[in-house]
Amino acid sequence: MVDSQRGSTMVDSMSETVQNEVTAVAAATGSKDPEVALAAVAALRGLVEVLEALNVEHARAEGWSWEAIATRLGVTKQAVHKKYAGRRFRLGRGSR
Amino acid sequence: MRDRFADQARRVLDLAREEADRLGHRYLGPEHVVLGLLRDDTSAGAAVLRGHGLELEEARAELGRLAERGIVAGPRPSDAELLGTLGIDLDAVRQRTEQAFSPHAVQQATREATRARRLGIARVPRTPLEGPPLLIGRMLHFAGERADVLGHATVGPELLLLGVLDDISRPWPRCMSNRWRRRLLAHLGLPTSYRGAARPLLEAFGVDLDQLRDALIARLQGIPR
Repeated sequence: MVDSQRGSTMVDSMSETVQNEVTAVAAATGSKDPEVALAAVAALRGLVEVLEALNVEHARAEGWSWEAIATRLGVTKQAVHKKYAGRRFRLGRGSR
Repeated sequence: MRDRFADQARRVLDLAREEADRLGHRYLGPEHVVLGLLRDDTSAGAAVLRGHGLELEEARAELGRLAERGIVAGPRPSDAELLGTLGIDLDAVRQRTEQAFSPHAVQQATREATRARRLGIARVPRTPLEGPPLLIGRMLHFAGERADVLGHATVGPELLLLGVLDDISRPWPRCMSNRWRRRLLAHLGLPTSYRGAARPLLEAFGVDLDQLRDALIARLQGIPR
């Protein structure tokens, strides 16, 4: 029992080293290494998509027009409408 | 559906997620569930696995070797680390967003943004605001099926393991290999032929899968319902 416990901590610290190395690589190379930089961009895009969806839905619930939303986002009203009009989730109870 | 899972099975899944994190895997697969089972050494499922020669440390090391062979993903930086390289604090973003809207709204927006069947507009395979993708749906389904057949009301760790074994042995329908899934697998650093790595993991220890399944079913029939 004690042995397996010790073995487990050993492996834990081993994988933590691997983990730290990955983190270090990510931090050190910053936006230079394409491997890390592109993955970071992809993560950022995932974040942006959710934030945009949340805020567009919120604006609609507040009674904003598609055109007003589109102007703020810097796209055409058709683009925003196409992307968000068919969405099934609603943030507020406001009438559309 | 989560109600069907016994507390112990949930703990196994939580441990599995920890194991995936520790390996630097950004998804949860059946192979991590096997590790989670081994970590929770009070369960009969763990005892059966150990009886077949599996130990936690060796299993972890074996997954490392499988990563070198390209069967599972190698360690990758997490979303928080990736965004950190850009100077973005993911936890702060999450906290503020959930404060401004609600956790439920964030969840809904996440689901919507990553939904497979949207009109092809700006879909993203996943977003940092959600947890790692769970590639264990089939396995959980089979565990539930086995629970029905054996007359168990809840799914315990042993049934999870049985689900893993069924997941290995039952054929994959062609629809499970679609463009969306291939894209997700590639995004996670997995080969497109990935069907869960529990089979290579168990076979590396010379486990006879049929024998293991029989041993488990025998155990389960002895467990009070």
